[in-house]
Amino acid sequence: MPEKMLGNDIITADKINKTFPNEVQALCDFSTRVRRREVLVIIGPSGSGKSTFLRCLNGLEEIDSGSIVIDGVPLDHKKENRLEIRKEVGMVFQLFNLFPHLTVLDNVSLAQRLVRKKSKKEASETSMELLRKVGIPEKANTFPNHLSGGQQQRVAIARALAMMPKVMLFDEATSALDPEMIGEVLEVMKNLAQEGMTMIVVTHEMGFAREVGDRMIFMEEGEIVEEGSPDQLFTNPKKERTGLFLSQIL
Amino acid sequence: MRTLIFPYHKIPAGGPRSALLIDVLKFLLVIGGITWLMVRGTDMLGYNWQWYRVPQYLFSFENNQLKAGPLLDGLMVTFYISGFSLLLALVFGLTTALLRMSNSFLATALARGYLEIIRNTPLLVQLFLIYFVLGPILGIDRLFSAVLALSLFEGAYASEIFRAGIVSVHKGQWEAAYSLGLSSRDTYSRIILPQAIRRILPPLTGQAISLVKDSALVSTIAIYDLTMRGQEIIADTYLAFEIWFTIAGIYLVITVTLSTLVNRMENRFRVAI
Ligand SMILES: Nc1ncnc2c1ncn2[C@@H]1O[C@H](COP(=O)(O)OP(=O)(O)OP(=O)(O)O)[C@@H](O)[C@H]1O
Ligand SMILES: [Mg+2]
Repeated sequence: MPEKMLGNDIITADKINKTFPNEVQALCDFSTRVRRREVLVIIGPSGSGKSTFLRCLNGLEEIDSGSIVIDGVPLDHKKENRLEIRKEVGMVFQLFNLFPHLTVLDNVSLAQRLVRKKSKKEASETSMELLRKVGIPEKANTFPNHLSGGQQQRVAIARALAMMPKVMLFDEATSALDPEMIGEVLEVMKNLAQEGMTMIVVTHEMGFAREVGDRMIFMEEGEIVEEGSPDQLFTNPKKERTGLFLSQIL
Repeated sequence: MRTLIFPYHKIPAGGPRSALLIDVLKFLLVIGGITWLMVRGTDMLGYNWQWYRVPQYLFSFENNQLKAGPLLDGLMVTFYISGFSLLLALVFGLTTALLRMSNSFLATALARGYLEIIRNTPLLVQLFLIYFVLGPILGIDRLFSAVLALSLFEGAYASEIFRAGIVSVHKGQWEAAYSLGLSSRDTYSRIILPQAIRRILPPLTGQAISLVKDSALVSTIAIYDLTMRGQEIIADTYLAFEIWFTIAGIYLVITVTLSTLVNRMENRFRVAI
């Protein structure tokens, strides 16, 4: 694969801290930057704060201190900044979270119409294009619970893409899937990365991480233990802990 | 009684239709038993049944025209009051539920205060307070006082029903809507409420039925609803048993119709999701 040209910083997270009401500190002075077109893979044991970090990035969790800036927009308490970030950051959840009372097409069209104010026709066209892209245009008029897990997750990806986000966050997008369906979802994510989408991916799929990731962060207890290229972390980890973790999950 | 007229929690293999049939049969059996007991009992009391005198209070023929009797007139008033109260109760209920779940301390406190006051005082007292105290101050009439009292009362219970339905929607639905940039208004109207409605409808029907029954209390502030008309007729004619049975029967027809209708609607929702 030819060396990918990364752009300037699009996400800046600086010393963010997050403690939950039950006193669990999920993030401690967590800082990182993500460049345009970069694919950042985050790994770490359960409870290390991976999901919390992603959720802080689009404001689903409130941070206690530190700062998050996405494409020049600070994630603060201003309503318009928050909305801007919600629009520009797409998120794919472990459990898909499709809207069960809407057809696949409506799932993908809804936000375009309500948030981007597109006409019904225009939104449907975009949606069909995206459904073709994730490989299930024939399911447009089906309800989500008639789809397999892999198909549901691909619809969820199309739904997030429909907002034309600048960044996509994937929180263990394949963890809830039967093994035979993981591949089809990873394939969609891989294509997305090749098209130059900026992505942060929390995953246990090490093959994907190595093939697609530009950079990898290994975190534990809310802190970055080690970061570097996936190859470096796999073959030549600097910290003993990283090697141990990777040897356990491989 | 609830299970008899609204069997939503146990649907036998034959489907809702046969379930309804079985329930109706059971119901008729119970009614038959009670009637038998009553006839025996009143025989011993020496009560002189005069059912033939009842129809004239339902309707009469004048110049070849069917004319509603006092009981049907009263029924119209009951419908009117119950209908308006139900609409207002839905508004109060939904508003209170949303206030209670909002982040604003003031809104939550307001909602809680309303719920506590309404749920911990008798409806009759609320009705009197509104009619005798608020009425003269605000210059609202009898009918409006009745509607206001009933809807405030039922609205408090409806709000709990709305709230329970709303929180039953999976948290992931809120998060998905949030991450797509939907406003909270759109999130409620397009995502949450359409899913919550299935959970809301059955208990809300129960509440609507309560409302129709509770509306009988407005007779205490001299509104000529079904119950009041009945009392009036009995005072004139001493047909206590016949008239009270007739009135109970009319209420029963309304409430059973209501639950059957909603039952059908609910089945449709079940298919849609
Ligand atoms: N809403 C919450 N309330 C309280 N504690 C929470 C909440 N969400 C997460 N936590 C705690 O914060 C810590 C980090 O959780 P997080 O979900 O970010 O971990 P994770 O790395 O995504 O783990 P996993 O691999 O299991 O998904 C955990 O100890 C978790 O129990
Ligand atoms: Mg997680």
